[in-house]
Amino acid sequence: MRPTNNEPPRMQGSELVIPVLAVAFTLYFFSTIWNSPWTAKVSAFMVGGILLTVCALFFLRFAITYSKGHANLSLGSLFSREDISSGRLGLVVTTVAYCILIGQLGFTLTTFLFLAASMLILGRGNRPVLIILSSAVISLCGWALFIWAFDTRFPRGWFETTMKAVLSNG
Amino acid sequence: MADSASILLTVFFETMSYWWIIIPSIFLGLIVGGIPGFSAANTIIILMPLTLSMNLEAGLIFMVSLYCAARMGAGIPAILVNIPGTAGAAATPLDGYPMTKAGRGQQALSITFVASSLGGLLTTVIALATMPILARVGFYMHSVEMIVVMLFGISLIASIAAQDMLKGLIAGFLGLMIGSIGTDVVYATPRGTFGFLELYDGVPLIPALVGLFAVSEAFVIIEKRLIITKEAQAAMASPSWHATFEGVQIALSRWWHIVWTSLIGLVIGVIPGAGASIASFVAYQQSRSFSKTPELYGTGHPEGLIAPESANNGVTSGTLVPLLVLGIPGGATAAIMLVVLQFHGVSFGPSLFEEQPKVGYGMFMAMFVSYLFMLFTILPLSRYMSRVTTIPTIYLAPMIISFTLVGAFVPREYMFDMYMALAFGVLGYLARRTGYHVAAILIGVILGPLLEKYFLWSLKKSDGDIMVLFSSNLGNILWVGLVLSLALPIILKWRRDRAKLVTQ
Repeated sequence: MRPTNNEPPRMQGSELVIPVLAVAFTLYFFSTIWNSPWTAKVSAFMVGGILLTVCALFFLRFAITYSKGHANLSLGSLFSREDISSGRLGLVVTTVAYCILIGQLGFTLTTFLFLAASMLILGRGNRPVLIILSSAVISLCGWALFIWAFDTRFPRGWFETTMKAVLSNG
Repeated sequence: MADSASILLTVFFETMSYWWIIIPSIFLGLIVGGIPGFSAANTIIILMPLTLSMNLEAGLIFMVSLYCAARMGAGIPAILVNIPGTAGAAATPLDGYPMTKAGRGQQALSITFVASSLGGLLTTVIALATMPILARVGFYMHSVEMIVVMLFGISLIASIAAQDMLKGLIAGFLGLMIGSIGTDVVYATPRGTFGFLELYDGVPLIPALVGLFAVSEAFVIIEKRLIITKEAQAAMASPSWHATFEGVQIALSRWWHIVWTSLIGLVIGVIPGAGASIASFVAYQQSRSFSKTPELYGTGHPEGLIAPESANNGVTSGTLVPLLVLGIPGGATAAIMLVVLQFHGVSFGPSLFEEQPKVGYGMFMAMFVSYLFMLFTILPLSRYMSRVTTIPTIYLAPMIISFTLVGAFVPREYMFDMYMALAFGVLGYLARRTGYHVAAILIGVILGPLLEKYFLWSLKKSDGDIMVLFSSNLGNILWVGLVLSLALPIILKWRRDRAKLVTQ
């Protein structure tokens, strides 16, 4: 029986992404242990075997649901125009840049740049002075608490080295 | 008996006189517990020179207070922004965060503080009274029994994601596979490492926690201007003492729930290596199984918040039992305490309570007094802490990402761990968007290496005979319990549905 027009499909193609990734990863894992001693593979084969079985059941259920017209292959819940309008894509770019730059620039400077850039993107450029000031205050508070007060092992860069020299001479 | 009572009384008053250490330690513990990557264990290590320079009592009180407060602190971001500070608080947002989204963050925090403090207080007293018996639990837990306990944890995965059990199982077993990454324990064969040397030691937990919970959540919350709804914002605009006391009243009216879920934490805490993460999920699942309203779990139900918080604070007393009585640390923090106390010349084992009773009782008394202080110092803060949810997400999301990503770097100081947190963030985002539970993936990652270790031990002992899993009486009792815990929710749901049909 086909669903009525006002009844939305229950399952989406996007729900298959995790099981597909799980199957791909399990098969890759098996390929790395195929010629290993039994101690290295017994547990992984057990867990991986159950995972493959559960994924197979999920695919079967999806196929049945799809054939009844209660499912579609849309990836709508994962990617949409909203990713650009909400600034999510921009946040992804600044987050990757944060991970790349923090090793060179250190925690404080990179955090300031990341916070300012991300907040400006998410806020669509509104209230730039407030955003830059709050980014500076937050990153400086982070430096004071974690690096200066507790000497936590955060990535160090130009700012941290300079401040250490200034404080030790002062 | 009279001697023990007089020692306890003396130790109690001596511990109270160290209030000037306990109160700052509580606030420090709340901060470090609330930020992923800054566990109590890491902080005690960082401050070890300070601890070693203190006298024995002061050092001990400092460590214990910090430990207890960090356990409680981990629940605060879990409730307010859906980011558990440690893996032990991973079950807390299941009902804590929906409460916050409904504008009841203040009540949720009060419930947590009361449940954690009372759970901690109660289990401390029970641990003190029953220490010789509890210490034996560790002796009875061999590899087979541990496997069943682990499988209990895995069975929770299906229960947590009960709306779709298949999705829950896929998420959980995917987590277990990810947890199997690394070299094998016997021949050091690299498995599933994608060629990265940094993965040879296995998947570190903090980047997984940060990515699955914090990074993915940050990418989701930016769709709304605020975490909470407009109606909830209006309710939060003027935080009142009334909301704080309402939370206290809700928690106190469920005192029996606090009692039995904290006892689950105590017993699991006694088992070396089991820890708060397993305890909180076991308590959550058991709480839901025996509840008259299991359908409310996951929607902001107070009992779903009380169970994991009481249990993970019950673990704090439990981990001290094998440390003091057997000299076996039950977890990372207990292991560091062992090192510091050995530096002061304390020798652990059964003779501790005869030779240095003040140290033995002192650790529990420090815990008791810390929880007592926490109840009265932290409770008023719930009124102000809950205001975090009124910060617009354009400010909140970048702050969450930056401070948690760098937290992933701290434990091992590998840049790789930040990238790994990012990869887990992508996985977490995909999971959230498509209805898979990130907590299920995380518990799989936690249990993966432990399950493999105990599974191999069992097979080694039995020359590869799989029937060894059913060879012990205690193990078989646990198997029955496991099957019941899986079947009961299904049977109860079936009975409820049938009763509904009959009444219609």
